Amino acid sequence: MSDDFERNLREHLHSEAEETREFPRRLRGRIRDGIAPRTRARMAPQLALAGALVLVAVAVLVVRNPHVIFTDVPSTIKSIFQQPTPSPTPQPFTCTDRSGGTTGASSQLSTIRTAPHDGYDRIVFEFSGQIPSYDLSRQDSATFVRDASGQPVTLDGSVGIKLVFRNTDAASGVQADAKPALISVKEIAQIGNFERVLSYGIGLASSQCVRVLELSGPARLVVDVATTASASTTAAPTPLPTQPAATDLGQFSCLDHSGGVDSGSAMQLTHVRVAHQAGFDRIVFEFAPQPGATAHLPAYTLSRQASAKFIKDPSGQPVTMRGSAGLRVVFHGASGATSYSESRDQTPNLPVVQEVAQLGDFEAVLSWGAGLSRASCLRTLELSNPTRLVIDVQTP
Amino acid sequence: MLMDPTLGRVIERWRDGDRDAFEEVVDRYGLQLLRTARLILRDQALAEDAIQETFLKAWQRIGSLRDEDPGPWLTRIAMNESISTYRRRHRFQALTERFGRLGGGKVEVSTEARLDLAQALDRLTAEQRAAVALHYYQDLSVEDTARLLKVPVDTMKSRLKTALRRLRELTGSDEALA
Repeated sequence: MSDDFERNLREHLHSEAEETREFPRRLRGRIRDGIAPRTRARMAPQLALAGALVLVAVAVLVVRNPHVIFTDVPSTIKSIFQQPTPSPTPQPFTCTDRSGGTTGASSQLSTIRTAPHDGYDRIVFEFSGQIPSYDLSRQDSATFVRDASGQPVTLDGSVGIKLVFRNTDAASGVQADAKPALISVKEIAQIGNFERVLSYGIGLASSQCVRVLELSGPARLVVDVATTASASTTAAPTPLPTQPAATDLGQFSCLDHSGGVDSGSAMQLTHVRVAHQAGFDRIVFEFAPQPGATAHLPAYTLSRQASAKFIKDPSGQPVTMRGSAGLRVVFHGASGATSYSESRDQTPNLPVVQEVAQLGDFEAVLSWGAGLSRASCLRTLELSNPTRLVIDVQTP
Repeated sequence: MLMDPTLGRVIERWRDGDRDAFEEVVDRYGLQLLRTARLILRDQALAEDAIQETFLKAWQRIGSLRDEDPGPWLTRIAMNESISTYRRRHRFQALTERFGRLGGGKVEVSTEARLDLAQALDRLTAEQRAAVALHYYQDLSVEDTARLLKVPVDTMKSRLKTALRRLRELTGSDEALA
């Protein structure tokens, strides 16, 4: 039979458990890295076979034409080693977040270098050991949060890149803050070095796509940040000029957005409105607080995607909306289960926003998706009385 | 336990090696497992390590999941990982606990040194905390808790009773009942 002590115990366990508010992104990344295919291990049998074939070929050559081995081959090998190491095959600049490195590798960052190049700025992170597991994420401001202390730090520039290296620390001589005089890269600052998780913030002059290269001998992670629109050959379109009437509303940005506050009781979704205005399609999510609670805009993330296919939460069912690109909006600490009575699948057929539909409403995580006729840049406005998140999707 | 058809399709995709499907399972069960592991391990970083191992093992051992809801199966792996992680990190403490039990010794807590529930939970063994977490946090029956931790039901009843008695002693709640 349950008594007061057991009731207290149950309540205590629940409140202790809820101190972990969400499943950490870094843990999800570690699990994802752990299940990634091991290309090198899979290639091992093929490499062994190739090596054996080369040895057989050399043996045949020695028997049939010995002078080739003793004169031509050494000179060819010599010429190979005298040439500079070829540059890695150029890869396209993309406007997406990256992950990579070697999971479980323990490294030390030995130096950071920067240099201007034609069409891009280069940042080189050099390690003693292997390139550690890393995450590179782009953000729409140059303000970062310092690890451990939680203090905000604003770097030079208007947008940023965050780089997190796991199982790594920095050698004593590595500069904690540098302001290279480059076109795109304005500042590189260490924002965390705690329990072997090393983080850097990079302040950029404007939103630019990046290219990441992993090089060996010595181990280097190279981050190239485009300096011209032509270098950004894929994905995010360049923001179009904003209509004069909307200049006071902020610039459109082709990056993912986030904001709001993850605190207090869950906010209740009351309305979702969609309409076209000069230069943009507007989506408005309106919220009301629960009785007795204080109003706040729930924490949200806006993720742009290259298709109109979404996964419903938590069913996992795929859903395809109208259009060829998409926008996913996720609110943490919000629900419309009892408060929202309008359509959960709207098809306004605007210039860009073709469909707006609910994707999930589960354990105070509310997800909506928008099907777009084309990949477009965004602008968000956080408004109060009533509490609203306004998403403007740029139209041609 | 039967699965809803949508989850069944996700599991089928996972069986076919679809990593996106696996990540959907991580999203669905990860938070609850992490919270339970933290209750047992009393440490966020250790709990994250245990849950990372749990999901990596689950990914490798999908063949051993029968046509059922993966929740209990994942919980069983997570409990094993949590308890073995705790044992690895607290070998010395485990040794002293064992010697204490062999000698019939018992750490007495004076009335002045009453602990709050969080501190009292720290003093339980990892096995006791796993039982308490599953029964009182996840609200599993004694029978289901015993099945997940692979012990006989009578053993589980005794373990929960011992854990509860110990928590009462440590927090001074037994005196209120006397």
